[in-house]
Amino acid sequence: MTRPSPFSVRGRRALMVMRDEREISIVRRQLNRLGMTISEHDPNEASPPDEAVDVIVLDADTIPIKSDLAAAWKTRAPIVALIGTETPSRLKWLLDLQPASFLVKPLRSAGLYTALVVAFDSAQRRIDDAARIERLEDRIRSRRVVFAAVLQTMRGHGLSEADAFTLIRQTAMRHRTTVEQLSAEIVAIGGMPNRTRTA
Amino acid sequence: MKKPSIPLGLVFSQSGPYAMMAGEMRKSALMAIDEINQSDQFDFVFAPRLRDPAGVVAAYHSACDELIRGEHVDHIVGCYTSASRKQVIPIVERTERLLWHPARYEGFESSDNVIYVGAAPNQHVVPLVLHMLDHISGEVFCIGSNYVWTWETNRVVREIVTSAGGRVLAERLLELGETAVDHIVKEIIERKPPVVFNTLVGESSYSFMRALHQAATRANLTIPMLSCSLCEPELKLIGSSASVGCITSSAYFESIDGAENRAFVARWKTRHGADSNLSVDALSTYVCVMLLARAIRRAGSADVGAVRRAAANHRYDSPQGPIWVDPDNNHCFLTPRLARSVPGCQFDIFWEADAPERPDPYLSNLDLAAIGTRPEKSNDTMTRQSTHLRVVK
Repeated sequence: MTRPSPFSVRGRRALMVMRDEREISIVRRQLNRLGMTISEHDPNEASPPDEAVDVIVLDADTIPIKSDLAAAWKTRAPIVALIGTETPSRLKWLLDLQPASFLVKPLRSAGLYTALVVAFDSAQRRIDDAARIERLEDRIRSRRVVFAAVLQTMRGHGLSEADAFTLIRQTAMRHRTTVEQLSAEIVAIGGMPNRTRTA
Repeated sequence: MKKPSIPLGLVFSQSGPYAMMAGEMRKSALMAIDEINQSDQFDFVFAPRLRDPAGVVAAYHSACDELIRGEHVDHIVGCYTSASRKQVIPIVERTERLLWHPARYEGFESSDNVIYVGAAPNQHVVPLVLHMLDHISGEVFCIGSNYVWTWETNRVVREIVTSAGGRVLAERLLELGETAVDHIVKEIIERKPPVVFNTLVGESSYSFMRALHQAATRANLTIPMLSCSLCEPELKLIGSSASVGCITSSAYFESIDGAENRAFVARWKTRHGADSNLSVDALSTYVCVMLLARAIRRAGSADVGAVRRAAANHRYDSPQGPIWVDPDNNHCFLTPRLARSVPGCQFDIFWEADAPERPDPYLSNLDLAAIGTRPEKSNDTMTRQSTHLRVVK
């Protein structure tokens, strides 16, 4: 499986949600140098635009803390937060947004690339982690089925628990399937499926 | 012999939402400059270079840029809001200049190129909340303007109050400048909270205090109100009856009883009229200029590094009492005070700290666990002495 390297940012789409003209020009210039495409959004507008983007550069100070608007920014593309105010009330609001990386204002041309790379990398890690957690949760959910299959195999073949599990695991490997899937078959048909070897 | 002249930048908005307060600060800076220029205790004069950003946040950056590059100032006194200060910090840091900042603010900042002369949150918000817990109630209704000052003050209120087993009954926010307050006044009259914590600013606050006073009088209710920003000129704007009775935290009140302050108030009234009033922000601006002049005298130069070193720990017996810069964080040691607003646009001071308190801009020394284990609150106000509060005798 190939996935985009976090270091290659050319062609990725950035949404700038900023107000300060001086800082907008710094970010715009830097994104252009990196070959990214840019769209801009006024932080005062009611809701974020619908267009799909790869990263959002969001000036945290421009959105009021007690604002429903903040919720709209969650669960979208990774956020690079621009931070000016370090008060805990502002930082708590920011943590709720789960920014992928951040930059401290005033901005300079240096730093944005690092922030983007960290954001793309951590966004990819989040996707990977979420997939891994889903797999683990699937396995937890199928533990009952595996346990039932082990019991059935112990009884049907007169094996110890360890040997029964080993048999199921080896059979699953031979059949090129998972322990969970084979266990479901064992439980469904009441015994070890008599499948021809595929290897 | 003619004294050498040192240019001094003054950045105060003469129009816009806080023009009234900034105007008072500008008057006070000019008064301090005149006093220094006429004094034989200083062998230099200040040449004020005035700039008016008109309350436009971005204009603060260009005003200071112009002062530094065009007028060659090393020192700037000014700014009122945190938003304006944060515009100025990048340029004073980049060019190694000093901003002398008079206004109290919400903390969580410490630039090497700013001298913070106004109160840090441990010097004004914390004493007020502790007083509320000890003498009024742990159940509080918060109302404020929708910006960083209110957000952060409310957070501190909530942390302290919940640590002590109390709770924030409501947190209502109004946009800056909003004067439609009736829905919140109605809610307060219906819910009858034991105390209201007001962090509204400017016209919003004046409208709210008038409307709540009127509604509470009609309903025959007395609801105590707390503020950590109310000042004497505002009492006049609010009006005689609605402005009375607000418990206010500040490092300065015009009514401070001390020789330095009495002489200062007399000079102020001679200059600005007998019916003029002082405010903490005006006084603090005067103190900024004085701290700077004394540091230049001590350093023998206006050089930023030398002045910063000379200002550190150099005590000034100011109208607000002894004050000096803590070199650890560039904020000032100063004396927190609590007072009640009374008729005649004045405050009756009922508590002050035993000694100037060390600034704690990050509230690192706020011990919430200790607050939680304090004795139960009592209603015998003013008689009981807590570990935190001392009643002025």
